[in-house]
Amino acid sequence: MGEVILTMEGIDKSFPGVHALDNVSFELRRGEVHALMGENGAGKSTLMKVLTGIYKKDSGTITYDGKEVEFSNPREAQHAGIVIVHQELNMLGHLTVAQNIFIGNEYMKGVLIDDARMNAEAAKLFKRLNIDIDPAETMSKLTVGKQQMCEIAKAISHEAKVIVFDEPSAALTESEVSELFEIIRDLKKKDIGIIYITHRMDEVKVITDRVSVMRDGAYVGTLISENSTKNDIINMMVGRVIYEEPKMASKVPKDAPVVLRVEHLNAGRLVQDVSFELHKGEILGFSGLMGAGRTETARAIFGADIKESGDIYINGRKVEIHSPEDAVKCGIGYLSEDRKRFGIVVQRSVAENSTMAYLENFMRGLFINKKKERMEAEKYVESLAIKTPGVDQLVVDLSGGNQQKVVLAKWLVRNCDILIFDEPTRGIDVGAKSDIYKLMNDLVKEGKSIIMISSEMPEVLRMSDRIVVMCEGRKSGELGIEEATQEKIMHLATQEN
Amino acid sequence: MTRQLQKMPDLSKKIIQRLGGQRVAVFLIVAALFSFFCIASPNFRKYSTTLSILDYSYYIALIGIGVSFPLITGGVDLSIGTGLVCYSLIGGYLVVYQGWPVWLGMIVCILCGVIIGALNGVLVGVMNLPPFLATLCTMMMTRGLGSIFSTGLGISWPSLGQEGGWFRTIFKLNIGGYKLPLGFLWILLLVVLMSTVLNRTKVGRYIIAIGSNKEATRLAGINIKTYYIITYIISGVFAGIAAIAYSAIFASVYPGTGAGFELEGIGGAIIGGVSMTGGVGNIVGTLLGVFVICILKTGLPFIGLQANWQQIITGIVLITAVLIDLIRHKRAMKLVTAALKKQ
Amino acid sequence: MDKIRQNPLVKALGFNRIVLCLVLLGMYGFFALFANNFVSYNRILSAMNYAYFLGFLAIGVTFVIATGGIDFSIGPVMFCAAIMSGYLLTHFHWPLWLCLIASIVVGMLYGTFHGYLVAYKSIPSFITSMAIMQMSKGIASVFTKAQSVSWPQLAQENGWYRNLIKIKAGSTYIPVGLIILLAAAIICSILLNKTKMGRYFLSLGSNREAVRLSGVDVRKWEMRAYMICGTMAGIAAIFFVAAYTTVQPGYGDQYNNEAIAGCVMGGTSMVGGLASVGGTFIGVMIISILQEGILAIGLNKNYQLVITGLIVIVAVFLDVLSRRRKN
Repeated sequence: MGEVILTMEGIDKSFPGVHALDNVSFELRRGEVHALMGENGAGKSTLMKVLTGIYKKDSGTITYDGKEVEFSNPREAQHAGIVIVHQELNMLGHLTVAQNIFIGNEYMKGVLIDDARMNAEAAKLFKRLNIDIDPAETMSKLTVGKQQMCEIAKAISHEAKVIVFDEPSAALTESEVSELFEIIRDLKKKDIGIIYITHRMDEVKVITDRVSVMRDGAYVGTLISENSTKNDIINMMVGRVIYEEPKMASKVPKDAPVVLRVEHLNAGRLVQDVSFELHKGEILGFSGLMGAGRTETARAIFGADIKESGDIYINGRKVEIHSPEDAVKCGIGYLSEDRKRFGIVVQRSVAENSTMAYLENFMRGLFINKKKERMEAEKYVESLAIKTPGVDQLVVDLSGGNQQKVVLAKWLVRNCDILIFDEPTRGIDVGAKSDIYKLMNDLVKEGKSIIMISSEMPEVLRMSDRIVVMCEGRKSGELGIEEATQEKIMHLATQEN
Repeated sequence: MTRQLQKMPDLSKKIIQRLGGQRVAVFLIVAALFSFFCIASPNFRKYSTTLSILDYSYYIALIGIGVSFPLITGGVDLSIGTGLVCYSLIGGYLVVYQGWPVWLGMIVCILCGVIIGALNGVLVGVMNLPPFLATLCTMMMTRGLGSIFSTGLGISWPSLGQEGGWFRTIFKLNIGGYKLPLGFLWILLLVVLMSTVLNRTKVGRYIIAIGSNKEATRLAGINIKTYYIITYIISGVFAGIAAIAYSAIFASVYPGTGAGFELEGIGGAIIGGVSMTGGVGNIVGTLLGVFVICILKTGLPFIGLQANWQQIITGIVLITAVLIDLIRHKRAMKLVTAALKKQ
Repeated sequence: MDKIRQNPLVKALGFNRIVLCLVLLGMYGFFALFANNFVSYNRILSAMNYAYFLGFLAIGVTFVIATGGIDFSIGPVMFCAAIMSGYLLTHFHWPLWLCLIASIVVGMLYGTFHGYLVAYKSIPSFITSMAIMQMSKGIASVFTKAQSVSWPQLAQENGWYRNLIKIKAGSTYIPVGLIILLAAAIICSILLNKTKMGRYFLSLGSNREAVRLSGVDVRKWEMRAYMICGTMAGIAAIFFVAAYTTVQPGYGDQYNNEAIAGCVMGGTSMVGGLASVGGTFIGVMIISILQEGILAIGLNKNYQLVITGLIVIVAVFLDVLSRRRKN
């Protein structure tokens, strides 16, 4: 490890309602692989976005190569030698690999682009990195893993001094991961500093020198990878900052009837042979890492995506669900993780949104009975404590937590018995969070059943009666609340097959 | 020996891949249509018919080449049809009524195309209007402008023999009573030129990139506004050249016409493999696609269908082409998912 | 400014609609000053002739734009309906009432076809619009062998349909058409704001996926918007011939833009989710006065094409701007 190339000190960043980064510090040396770990939402990506100029920091200093810097966009950071390999790919599917790598920096021969030279340069680059990709191949024809390799190659082509990898291994196969590690070791030798964001514990030992852990937007500490154990890191990541004590025991009677049974559900790469049961009055937590296939499972059950095979039983009776319409008729409601895209109709009012799924109940002949609609909406505005000037308010003007409650109201109006909450508290401030928790507990007391998908471990432990853990599209385990601990869940979620 | 045998189909596959499967298919359709009409009607076999197919093809091919560029960015340019008539009317008015030399009139045509194209580009790229709406407006505006300029009259550019009539020989040369379709040569040259622009220059590269993933292109530090404007200027310039071709082929130009030409150009491009979803397209394919439409257009009267059926047929052909494009897109997505699953 | 917006009376009528009415009055005043003999009942009647069919077209396309789509085949479709039903009347001697129904049915069939392609086959609506525009022109020409069709005059046999726009009462005319259009606008406004269908149109224009995930069959509803639009074009055809009697195949596309202009001026957003039939109604009145005024100050019809184009660009740009500011 060489001298320090990058230090970030006292970085603060707030978004409306969320304190995303709270006095975070970080240090990187030349030729070092520094792992950055933490749960989803711990602030790792935000920190990197502040570093590369995508976000503007509120306070704190960034010192790079001996000088204090502040980049106003990723391109500036790139020119200075800091590049980021994003988790989501920024590829141009219709262009070739070489054309992608050199986009914006084409080699020219007069007015014409010198594709031959670009191919040759790309081939040289691949050879140096020991990757087997044809530079003239069309990007969209490569596997996601290979595409990721191209992104990495593109980053390296920029003469970088610092490279940030944002969960590079998430989409890679095992052999591709070892290829990636070879590349990283090679980069290390060239004295390039590498920030490596990951969720996989076992990678820390294999490839990194140091590991820094973040939690809830704050810096927790740094360990030397060699001297640390998996448990050390997990303990640092999960901490003990839970708003309340976790549920100690399930209150659901053992013989509670099964309201929903899913058998051998298959839908694409991220839903493979998933089976589980949901009991009446139960909150079933779905835990796992990002991209483990939880949302995909929920969408397949709800009929939002096409499923390939699998049976769904509701109250013991087999049902055919081919569209959300069918699912709603079966009494299932789905609260999406992406409210803006899938949950609310932003340009319409609170009242209109809340009756969206059950408009037929508010008809008087041909016309919508607006009085009844408003009364029903007002009822839920009150019982869910939705903060809005009135039910005619456009949903776009509400805060995230209140938008979430409007979506919930939509399903309560429909009187759905089975509710799927997908990341119910994402992007919601702390106060609104406990409101949502209380609501969920009230709902199950009324005899409704809830599937709760959540990436926040304390939330899962606090709310669930049972926990299903998913890993890479498969169900990797199921835990009763009595036996579940954060460590156990993390082990199941990071299970290597 | 066996190894050689195994290699053979690989080679032919490679050749087809190089030429582009779609282009080969469209070429076969062109050939099949041509043969069909030749068999069905003796009159179709005459040289004069081939000439008239080519006559019709010039302006459609030109706007087809031009509109391929906005289509590849994921947009569209509806103003090219009425635009070409408008430019021809303006240029013709200046030549016929104001005594401007013909070459200057031709330059005016192209210049008008540049102006309207730049306007489209600003509306789409800078002001963020939906492309179809922005160009729908310029479509109507060019239609009105053309009529205003020509004071509502049809305009006849100088005919052969008159002063300035030489420009008609650009597209059809008369040597010893034998007519040579010179225009086809220019079309071929322009196809080669624009293929190069699309595939070998920064402009083309970034146009494809924008159609492929607008956000990623912007993040790569490319000023996409500029390239939107360039895209629509290309389309406008080709509408201008098409105006010259149209004036040279037809005796007169009438205000109020031109609506519907854009459909033939866009239809040709889509048949030729330009994808509605953006990012995909090639100019050779567009040319072949245009010929599918031109042969249908010229051939149908020979088998006893009135000229009016052409409009219906072009509509159906367009919808079919888009449907095929969408199905292809879906299948490609499926293949990618399948490949991922195998992993 | 904000104070005016908050005024309960202004709120009830809609700020945008009041501004539009002022524009309408201003425009009328402008032409009254600068055009000869503009202020007369006959002028208004003549302007209204234009407003009737355009009003039906614009109200129809308001539904489609509310769902986030577009239909610019309505002009030619209207012509096709007028030509086919007129041909049935004059050449096949169908009874008049049946021809009027036929006109509506033709429009509805086009709308259904259009809606099917957009909703169930996922073809972008501007492509289908283009294709259907051409097809409807072609079908009309094929039907009449490219002849234009003249509907009977008022005094002739079967001429009573012309009373649909105005009835002579003594020495003056009663503008029946205005009453019918107003009634249609009110019905459509109720349809859009008070029924399940209208609610779904607006919602799926705002966020199609969220509506689908609420368990609504979005494809069915999307198709219906186009059906209504087509049907309205069929009705517009009746009012077109009642005003002008003669229709020629191969034309009609200029009315697309004018209908869309009326729509976006009236506050219907091109991005979908926001629509106002009342606004469309006023927008159509503005376009109609504009076209009458342009003729009255001695300019020809072509200026209207250019001006309408500019109006649409400005109206849509303002819409894009206001949305950007909100986000």
